[in-house]
Formats: sequence, C-alpha cells, structure tokens
Amino acid sequence: MNVLFGLVSAMLVGATPILLAAIGGTFTFYAGIFNIAMEGMMLVGAFCAVLGSFFLHSWFLGILCAVAGALIMAVIFVLFAVRLHTDEFLTGIALNLFAVGLTTFLLRDIFHVKGAFTNAGIRAIPAVKLPLIDGIPFLGRLLSGYNAIIYLAILVTVLSAFIIFRTRFGLRLRGAGYNAACLNSSGVPASTIRIWSLIVCAVCCGLAGAYLSLGSVRLFAENMSAGRGWISLTAVILVNGNPWGIAIISLLFGFFDGLTVFLQGSRIPTQFTAMIPYVATLVSLYLYSVRKRRQA
Amino acid sequence: MARDVLIDLQHITKVFPPDTVALSDVSVSFESGEIHALVGENGAGKSTLMKVFYGLERRDAGDIFFRGAKVEFRTPREAISAGIGMVHQEILLIPEYTVWQNIVLGAEPVRAFGTVDAHRAREAVRRKIEEFQFNLEPDALVGDISVAARQKVEILKLLYRNVSVLVLDEPTAVLTPQEIPQLFSELARLRDKGHTIIFISHRLDEVLTLSDRVTVMRRGKVVGTSAACELTKEDLARQMVGREVLFTSRRQPQEPGEIVFGARVLNCSDTEHRARLHAATVEVRAGEIVGVAGVEGNGQFELVNAIMGLTPMTSGTLEVKGKDITHADILTRRTLIAFVPQDRGKMGASVAASILEDAIMTHHILDPRFHTWRGLGLDYRHAAEFVDQIRDQFTVSMGHSSDPFSSLSGGNQQKVILGRELLLETPFVLMDQPTRGLDVGSIEYVHQLLLDLRSRKRAVLLVSADLDELFMVADRIVVMCQGEVVADLATDATSHEEVGYYMLGGKETAHAETGS
Amino acid sequence: MRKQALSGILGVLAAFAIGALVIALQGFNPVETYGALLQYSLFSGSGFTATVTRAVPLILTGLSASIAFASGPVNLGQPGQLVMGALGATLVGLFVHLPSAFLVPLCILASLLGGALWSGLAALLKRAFAMDEFIVTLMLNFIADYFALWVITYPLFDPSAMTPMTRPISAAAWLPDLGGVNTSVLFMVLAAVVCWLIMSRGRSGYEWRMTGQNSLFARIGGCKVDTNYVRVMLVTGALAGLAGGLMIMGGPHRFVKGLGANYAWDGIMIAVVASNGISGTFLYGLLFSALQQGAIGMELVTAVPSEFIDVLQAVIVLVVVAGRVSLNMVFDRLATRRKLKESAA
Repeated sequence: MNVLFGLVSAMLVGATPILLAAIGGTFTFYAGIFNIAMEGMMLVGAFCAVLGSFFLHSWFLGILCAVAGALIMAVIFVLFAVRLHTDEFLTGIALNLFAVGLTTFLLRDIFHVKGAFTNAGIRAIPAVKLPLIDGIPFLGRLLSGYNAIIYLAILVTVLSAFIIFRTRFGLRLRGAGYNAACLNSSGVPASTIRIWSLIVCAVCCGLAGAYLSLGSVRLFAENMSAGRGWISLTAVILVNGNPWGIAIISLLFGFFDGLTVFLQGSRIPTQFTAMIPYVATLVSLYLYSVRKRRQA
Repeated sequence: MARDVLIDLQHITKVFPPDTVALSDVSVSFESGEIHALVGENGAGKSTLMKVFYGLERRDAGDIFFRGAKVEFRTPREAISAGIGMVHQEILLIPEYTVWQNIVLGAEPVRAFGTVDAHRAREAVRRKIEEFQFNLEPDALVGDISVAARQKVEILKLLYRNVSVLVLDEPTAVLTPQEIPQLFSELARLRDKGHTIIFISHRLDEVLTLSDRVTVMRRGKVVGTSAACELTKEDLARQMVGREVLFTSRRQPQEPGEIVFGARVLNCSDTEHRARLHAATVEVRAGEIVGVAGVEGNGQFELVNAIMGLTPMTSGTLEVKGKDITHADILTRRTLIAFVPQDRGKMGASVAASILEDAIMTHHILDPRFHTWRGLGLDYRHAAEFVDQIRDQFTVSMGHSSDPFSSLSGGNQQKVILGRELLLETPFVLMDQPTRGLDVGSIEYVHQLLLDLRSRKRAVLLVSADLDELFMVADRIVVMCQGEVVADLATDATSHEEVGYYMLGGKETAHAETGS
Repeated sequence: MRKQALSGILGVLAAFAIGALVIALQGFNPVETYGALLQYSLFSGSGFTATVTRAVPLILTGLSASIAFASGPVNLGQPGQLVMGALGATLVGLFVHLPSAFLVPLCILASLLGGALWSGLAALLKRAFAMDEFIVTLMLNFIADYFALWVITYPLFDPSAMTPMTRPISAAAWLPDLGGVNTSVLFMVLAAVVCWLIMSRGRSGYEWRMTGQNSLFARIGGCKVDTNYVRVMLVTGALAGLAGGLMIMGGPHRFVKGLGANYAWDGIMIAVVASNGISGTFLYGLLFSALQQGAIGMELVTAVPSEFIDVLQAVIVLVVVAGRVSLNMVFDRLATRRKLKESAA
C-alpha cells in the first residue's frame, strides 16, 4: 500500500512541472507560436523562486519572483520575435542559452557558489491538507496532503480548457493559430493575441520553475530544468494542444520520472534510470508518429 | 444622378522598398450609393490603393477624406468601425470554424466571464442571412462549403458589422461563369439598399456589366474616370495598357502530330481515402496545347502532382514519348517533362536564393557541363554563362546573376523559371497557371512563348483558371470536375458558357445568361 | 554578405556595450575587465595559443550546426554526438595498439563514426517513423550523457582515479603541441576547409542549401531530398564527433566526467549568430573561444566571475540576430526615402 502511495506521489511530483509548462505551451501552440524558450523560462523561474524565497523570506513571494522572471524572458521574446520579426526558432534558442548563462552567472555572483545553492533560509512551498477530504481514511491519503502547487496545476488545467474552448479570447487565440491574416482582417491584431499567449505561457513556466526549486526540494542547481521544457513542448505537440490530453501525458511522464527515483535503490545503475524520462519521450514520439501514419 | 462624394483619396504615394513605386500621386473619389470599378492590369496599383485606404498598408504621402473629414485608418479595425469593409482576393476565413464563428470573430456576443454566447451569435447571423437573401447554413464548417459560399461568408462578415462601403478585390477570380451573375445581382441589391461598392477587377466585360463608374489605373497612376455607359471594352483596354490590345486568338491552324503525353485512368486518393482523381485521362499530341479548365479544387492540382510524381497514384499509367513513367522517380520524369508550377515562391524557386541558384536547378544534375572535379563540384562559371543565356533568350530584366531572386519583379521571376524549364528541351511541357499575378506585358509574352512551343511541335498541357487565356492559346480544352475529366472540347467548337456548364458538373443553372 | 558583416560587427560592439553596463552596475571597472579579457586571450603568447586550441571543438560543433541548419535538418544533437565521438576515440585509444601513424587516423575515424552513429540514429528514426529530429536529437543528448557517465563509472573506469574517468589512452594517439598550439587545430582547419569546399563549390552543397531553403523546390527539381537528408545528418554528426575525439586526443587524453559540457551548445550558438555561414562560423568560433579563454584571466585580475562570459555570449547572439533584422528594416526605409525623392523629382 505504501508503495502505491509512494508511486502516486512520485508520479504527481514528476508530472507537475511538465503539466504546468505544457499548459502554458498550449496557449502559445494554439496561437501559432513555436515556443522553444519554455526550457529557459522554467530555468529562470526556478532561479528567481529561490532568489525571492531566500531574500524575502517567503515562499509566496518566491513564486511571484519566479513568475516575474519568466515574464521578463517572455518580454524579451516578444520584443525580438513579435516586434522585430526575428526568427522564432533562433530567438528561442538564443533565449535558452541566455537563461543558462544568466542563471549560472547569478548563482556565482549572488550566492557565491558553483553547481548548486541550498540553504535553510530558503522557504519551500508547503503541502496542503484539503479540509474535509483529509479525514477520509483511504481517499484522504490519496487526495490530500500534496504540495500547494500540485493543486494549483490541476486548477490551471481546468481553467485553461475553459478559456481556450469557451471564451472569446480562446476563439481568437485559436484563430490566430489557424489563420492569423484572417484574424487581423477581422479587426483583432494577431500579434496582441500572441503576446498574451506568451504572457500566459511565461506565468505557467514560472510556476513550473518555482515548483522545481521550491516544491519537493529546496535548492537551485545549474541547468536544473534538465530538458523538461523540451519534454513539455513534445507533450504539447503530441496531443495537438488539448489540455486534457496534456494532463494525461504529463501524468505518464511523471510516472516515468517517478520511476527513476523509485529505481534508484535497485540494482540498475543510476545512469540508466536517469535516462528513463528521455527514452519515454522518444517512445511516445514513436507511438504518435506511428498513429499519424496509420491514419494516412 | 447626382451623388455625394463619400471617399476622396488625394495624392496618395506608396513605395515598396527598395525600388517599387506602387502608387504615384493617385487621386480618386468615390460617390455614395454607386458601384465603382477600379480597373487595371496586375501591378497597376489598384489593390495597393485600396489596402492603403483600408489600413493594411501605410501610405508614404497623400490624404484620405471620408464623408468630408480627413481620416487615417491605421488598422482595418478602424476602417470597419467607420463603416468600410474589404473582401480580399484570397478568401481569408478559418476553415476549422463554422460559418457563424467566422462571421462573429472579432465582434462576438459574450456572456459572463467572457464566454461566447453561441445562441445569440447564431441567431444574429441567421437574421442577416435572411435579410440579404444569401443561401448559407450557420453551422456549416467553412472548410466544407463551396468557394462561392465562402465569398458570401466574407461579405456577410462585413455586413454583420454594418458597413456601408464594401471593397471587393477581384471577387470573380474564384467563381465559375454561372456563379458570377448571382454575385452581381446580390451586389446590385446592396447598392439599391444604399451601400457603396468599390469593385477591383481586370475583367473588362464584368466591369462594364456591373458598374456605374470606372476608374482606370496604369503603373501606379490614375489614367481616368468615366461612366460605364460611355465606355467600350476596347476603350478600357487601351487605357489600361496604353496601346491597342487584340482580343482575338493568334493561334494558327496546325495539324497535331503523334501522342507525346498520355495520362490514362489516373486514380488518386487523399489521406481520408477520398477520391481526388477518378479515372482521369488526358492526352497531348506534338504541336498541341491542351488546356485544363475547372473550378479550383476539382483535381487539377492533384493531376499536376501525379504527373510530376509528387503524390502517388493508386492506379493508372503515365507515359511520355512512349516511355512509361508511372513509377519513375522525379528526376527521371524531369528528363522528359518541363514543369512551371502554380506557386512560384513555394514550388518554382527558392525565394532566398540568388538568381543563379534558382536558374540552374535540375540542369545541375542533368547537364554534364555543370560538373567539375569528377562530378563532385559545381561549375559556377558555366552557371553564370547559363544565366546570361536565359537573360538574353527570354529578355529578363535583371542585374547581376548573384542578386537575390526576390529582387526581380514577378514577371521577370517567371521568365527565369520559364527559361530554366524550357532550356531543358523536353518533349512535354506542363504549365500550371503560368500567368497568374503577372502584368499584361508579361502575360502576352508567356502566350507568345506558348504559341512558339506549339509551332515547334512540343506538347503542352496548360492548367489555367483564366478561360480567356485558354480560348486564346489552347487547341483543346478538357474540363475537370470532382476529380474527373468530364469534357474534352475543341476550342474552336465551344464557348465560355459550355465550358462553365461542365465546370459545374453539368448542373442546371437558374440564369441562362447570354452575352459577355 | 556585406550586410552580414556589418550587422555582426555592430552587434558584437553593442553587446560589449551592454556587458560594460552590467559590469559597471556590479561595481567593477569595464575597461579593466575587458582589458584583462583581451590580455589573457589574444595579447599574450600562451593566451593566444590557448584560444586557438580551445576554438577546435567550438568551430567543429559550429560547423556541424551550421551545415545542418542550412540544409534543413534541425540537428541539435551536437552535445550527444560529441560525447559519442569522444567515446569512440577513447575506445580505440585504449584497446588498439598501433604506432602513431596508424592509431591517430584510426582514432579520428572512430570519433567520426561515433558522432555519425548517434546522428544517424536520429536520421533513421525520422526516415522510418517520421519522428521529428528536433526532439529526437535533444533527447539523445541526455541519453548520450548518461550513457557516457555509466561507461566511465563502471566498465572503463580507471581504478586509480578519484572521480569517474577512464584510463589514459595509448600515448601513440596523443596529439602533441606545436609551438604552443595543439595539432588538433590542423585537423579542425582541414575539416573547415573541406566544409567550405562542399558548401560553396560542391554539387552536394548546392543541393543541400536549396533543400534547406525550399525542400519542395529541390524535390521538384530532381534532388534526392531523402538521401541528402541522411547524408547531412551523418556528416554533421561526424563533425561533432570529431570535435569530441580531438578533445580527448589533444587534451586530457582520457574521458573525464563533464568533458565537452558546454562546447556543443556554444557551437549551436555560433551557427545561429553566424547565420549558418562557414566563414562566419569560423570567425565567431574564434571570437567566442577568445572570450572564454580570457574569462579565466579576467576573473583573476578583476574578480568578475568567469560565468559572466556565458551571459555576454548569449547577449551577442540576441543582439546580432535582432540587429540583422533591424538593419534590414533600416536599409529598406532608406531605400524607400530615396525612391520617393526620385519619383517626386
């Protein structure tokens, strides 16, 4: 039984950053942007979260700082890719490199350490016990007591499905992706919609980054995002942007991520268990491509 | 009939960097409650003028007056709220959305939390459909309805926003001869209700039929404005081009030779197993130009792709000069087929490349004179000579061969592509809309080129949406509808109406119009 | 071409200006800092040779990325291909015993094959299963990293070492220094020249470039687009692998943990800022090598952390890329104004 709870818990822990980033990625996906800066946004978010939590002594302010940091990345992306019309791909790559360089530099510059920074002074995001559900014997342990951000992630998923498919903004968002020229001639500037989608994506990636550094651990390590931004991007492409599909895929990836931790005690060398999320991504890409080909 | 001046454009100038003067000191006025046609050849500036007016392009000089007051529309949104709407040549709709979604996009009725009120939207759209007597179903997906219906959705989109001025850019380019009168009666009804309609076209017969007044533009300048009843087609043409224009065919009678190209019983399906080509059969003889007519999307593009080997066929055979190329790879086909594709930028050339790089494609494989270093290297010196050959033979106006391809005008780009393809000296030539988007001078040049090919006994298959063009150069016209070849007509024995009849699948039409 | 050079120079200068601002805000002296940077990278004998040697993996991975991006495939797998190439050279260097004249070429061949194998895997997955190479090469980077870590921790582990690394490779495979500069530079220059010849003078290079610009056009023109795709992936993978092999042979002579860590991503960055041009890649490779080499000295003299260079590099990329577009817009506006005056006259 404990194994089950442990696995579910590990699954949720692994899924959450991917879910949050991927939901953000959904907005940019529908708007027609190929946002490869998600990896960098997450990394900056993780760093700023530690920054805020440490110096402002509050995990909440840490989260706000994470979001702010990711938003700054988004602003730079907007400035370059939307206003100056530089190539989205190049801008994204450049931004990711910038994020890595900046966080590594600031790690050294502000905290005077190399590699990783951890300190008792960093306030982590607390776990939340759901008031009524917690009391229920079996279900309570399964559903309650997780980190606050995990519940936030679920809320964000539901909200995004509502926004994208039911609201006016969502209609215009998808319109920007399907045919931006049409949207423009309908009187709604597609660039404005794209900017908003980037802002939403940045907020989500910031939250994902905050969870990475303040959620289950309390540290920032160089290049901490470790490719999760890429995995989120893959998830978005695999499900064609559908928020519910993303939830399922994220759980799947979370499962594999959790499996890594799970298997660390076993006889399989840690290097191979560490490969699991990336191999899993390849396998899901394979299944996706095979499915697309069968349709043809 | 005295009308007020509604829109006054004064001294508008627009330059596209680096060198193109699209509009030069243009002054035109439009009166309220009229149908006013803006006429000129491609590149004359008519679309650009309206885009500047509408807020899609910024002008470099001049003023715009609307209802007597000076205005500046910086975005289409501002123009729409002033009551002006524009329907573009390329229909700008979202195929994944329904009719009502497309119509209300940007002006959606909302409920709490910004949710779209679908019920109210549908009702409002239904009311508008009935008011203007369009025949549309609000819940149909725009991707599923006909091109003429999509055009009506575009117009309705603007009427939903209560525009009083409608600007239509080449609306008849996408319609069959039978659908055009319906559009005209709808436009006339709108005018009678008090709307003002500005109608951009290069089709002279339509312009004279529909409009009250006509303004002619040439090379970015206004030539003149007159009442339609005072003009003939020849007057218009002369004003457009600046000299006499012939409207009769220059085709000399000629006996075609043996069959050079045969496409027999071609079948093609798409990803959803829908038949895109069904038992299509076309033959072309030496010294013959065969035209392919049809409403866009009825299999012409699939036919071209199948011939070139870009998409696989489920069955059928292809042969050129007796050689079976049904399963041949693209390179083998290219030794026998010269191909001028529909979309210059997407298929005919690399826009980012230099003129030289675009000119030597395919030759770099097939012509040993381009090889050095035992075939590994490319002889760029010979390539430059080759480009000179194209420039001289096809009168291309260009700078240096290392200049970017995009620095050439549309007509000259097409000439380079034609030069490249025709210098392959293949027995069979396939051309898909070769004169689309070209100015009259270039169009004449291409037609002359086609006739030269014909007199030199090459075989040409010409896919074109321009019936005038087909009637001018083609010996035979095959009509495609729903992926099938439904008619094979000798040009001298048929008419526009008969071709149009087959283009629509031989359906009965409500108006049996004569003339034009 | 001239526009490229102009935007490049302006961009680098602008980035340096921004960097100076950052340095000043931190309380350091920009002039002193940049001075130390130049001193330790270019203006001292040992610094210059170190810069040139360090440029080898940067330029090679840069060439790999440049050729790939210019030809169509989005090969972001240089980090992994570098590692696999290094592994290849290490394996041969450890277990094959031949004199230098044979072992050196063999090790180089092994590094080429290692890199090509890794990129070839991505190409195979694309051709067989339509799996997008963008994601595949990225994932393969991580997998290669962990795989190499396992190899140097268990099977090839040097028992006498404290941290994961292999035993040194046979001395016959070591690349010596010549006048302070490592001979791996010769191989790098040779590779660069070959790349230039292929891309500018070769029929393959022409087809690859046209395919990268418009693959449909190339396909209709008769180019074997699918075959070219595989060739490009193999060649670019081999280039990155060569970088890895040369690093082992010219550098620590054994596979240590963290080898080549950032070089490959820097290579991608160089390709981006050089707009996929071969000569541009070469020059920017030298520039970034100088920056990185000088950073260590810079830290000694002025206490500005050497990681500042990471930021400066990224800023250069952003500014040059943006500057290129802005410069085009400026040129266009100038041309418009000129044309207006002409037509009014």
